[in-house]
Amino acid sequence: MNPLPFLAVATAAAVLATLLRGRRRSGTLVGLAGGGAALAALILTAPGEALALGGGAVGMTAYARVLLGVGLAGGLLVLAVSRLATWEGPAPAALLIGVAGLTIVLGVGGAVPGLLAAGATSALAGAVALAHPATPLRVGALAREVRGATLALTIGLLAVSLAPEAIGGLAVQPQVAGLAALAAGLILGHRFGAIPLHARIARLTDAAPASALPVLLALIPAGWAVVLLGWAPDTLGPVAPVIGWDGTLVVVVGLATLVLGTFAALIQDDLLRVVAYTVVLDAGVVLLGFSSLDPVGREAVRAWLVPFVATRAALIGWVIAFRAAFGTARLSEARGWLRRAPALGVGLAVTGAATVGWPGTLAWDARLAALRAATDGPALLVATVATLGTAVALARVLGMGLGRADPRVATAPGELARVPAGLRAAARALRTPDGRRVATLRAASHEARPLLEMNRTPLRAFLVVLLAGLALLTALGAFGIRDAAAGPDLPVAAPVAPVP
Amino acid sequence: MTVLLLVAAALVALGAGVATGARSARAATVGALACLVFAPLVAEPLPEMPVALFRIVAGVLAAFLLLVAGRRAGDAAASPLGLPATLAVGGAAFAAGLGATAVGLPAFGPGAAVAAGLTCLAVALLPVIRARDAFRLGTALLVLANAGLLLRGGLAGTPAALEAMVGGATLAALGAAVAVLAGTAATATGSLALPGEATDRRRPPA
Repeated sequence: MNPLPFLAVATAAAVLATLLRGRRRSGTLVGLAGGGAALAALILTAPGEALALGGGAVGMTAYARVLLGVGLAGGLLVLAVSRLATWEGPAPAALLIGVAGLTIVLGVGGAVPGLLAAGATSALAGAVALAHPATPLRVGALAREVRGATLALTIGLLAVSLAPEAIGGLAVQPQVAGLAALAAGLILGHRFGAIPLHARIARLTDAAPASALPVLLALIPAGWAVVLLGWAPDTLGPVAPVIGWDGTLVVVVGLATLVLGTFAALIQDDLLRVVAYTVVLDAGVVLLGFSSLDPVGREAVRAWLVPFVATRAALIGWVIAFRAAFGTARLSEARGWLRRAPALGVGLAVTGAATVGWPGTLAWDARLAALRAATDGPALLVATVATLGTAVALARVLGMGLGRADPRVATAPGELARVPAGLRAAARALRTPDGRRVATLRAASHEARPLLEMNRTPLRAFLVVLLAGLALLTALGAFGIRDAAAGPDLPVAAPVAPVP
Repeated sequence: MTVLLLVAAALVALGAGVATGARSARAATVGALACLVFAPLVAEPLPEMPVALFRIVAGVLAAFLLLVAGRRAGDAAASPLGLPATLAVGGAAFAAGLGATAVGLPAFGPGAAVAAGLTCLAVALLPVIRARDAFRLGTALLVLANAGLLLRGGLAGTPAALEAMVGGATLAALGAAVAVLAGTAATATGSLALPGEATDRRRPPA
């Protein structure tokens, strides 16, 4: 099956979710059901089959399928966690717009259409996520997002147009090729929030609904990275003469981002900010993998991006659940949280392990390969140590949970499941031989809402553990990530014969 | 390079100058319309008719969305350079673009496209960086994206049909994002003014 059914379902669900973003019940139903239907359609989509369009083709590679699948599954779980805590209407629409747009980004042949689609997806997803409800903070963040997306796509168009293969004559000018690589590095740095371009990430984290952050901070930037990584090594590298001061600059920015991002994540009190700065510090991995202009680095980053997307979704879902459980996202106000929420602790520990990985896992090996492609000697050592920053930041959060519980934490609801008295009585009545089964079941059905209301905290914790499990699976290389990342970059934009 | 190509490029450049330099929002929208509608015609060879029409319709749609976004726009937020200075900057960029290809910049597309693209880039860059108004920022962003497409066509030649269609869809999507930005700004602040840097921080729900 070609990507058309998935694209149609995701687009239709995105339109409906956008229209219903102000309605709590129908918005939830459309968002979750539409996302689920899109995930089912994606699973049924066979890699390799292409949809003929405009003289070219939109295909679905194995890599695009696994990246979109993990992003969509993680995003849906985060939406479910969020729905059990509060209602963030625009988030389902932002997720669905993101995956529909990324289908084009990853499936259309060539860097230029990919960049154009990535720019449009970034602007539209940002617009939907930040427009409702309107506040001055969100207006500022939206202006920044639309401006950044347009600038990135324009710079990308110029960089790709300057590529040696495109205009032959410039192939002998390594400075021009270096300039194109630098421009592409600038785009990647901006989309992932590399220091000093990290303001986008911080503002988005402050302004956007938390459940829209997995798609805005991780999934869509991953799409930009895949497009640029598919273009640059083939057209600009891997030839040493091209990597002059331009390559060095990107490496320095990547290393600085890893080190400074770690410090920034360690000094944050707001947990969403902690997660945001783990995204910032991981921008260094993308930049270093890109700067090598080497297919080995490219494949490593492509493989690493899948666990990156899954772990960020897991961390954001964890923060939403934490905030709902304790009424705060500030670490200083929730000391001793681990005793009250051990399942959340397990979720965080597993997600932390998946984020960093260990030797032999995909997350660890791919990250190290990306770093090795660009650095050597002491620089490699610094980069390797700095990439453990996420684990240190998460260990700090776990450590704060071990102390004496703050009053706010001590009075928070626990994670044990509870059953309403009415439901217990119905269960007892069903066990008696002369019980009126229909009437009892009808009475029990009225207890469904109280059952949900009493168990929001354990349900959120369960979903967080599921998110952590998804993150761990991707970190271990499940879903054939290694093979998919080493496969063809994008479908070839060759004319496709019309289907009879 | 034919005269018609040069005329189309000049109209695109003029439209870009008016879009970013005019005080009146309506005039700026008309300028953006000209800039977006004539841009697909600055190519050699011309794209196929359905593709060109798709791009033109996408340009009209984007300009219409700008018109919607600019309903509350005032003159106060217009470019501080003013229209004459903006047109002068655009004229200089246009000449530079034509000259660049004349002195040997290797390109697969027409020099007129490079000239029009460079003009769009030159006049849009300042408002993109400095604009504090949603309509002016949005207009400049559309002109900037158009600059990228024109320069791509100028350097690498007429784009393939699918690329041109994705380009048109992107312009329309950016127009939609700008309309949403203007609507959000109007709801949040009562005008199209963009707030400065955020000072408040996220507060957890009570």
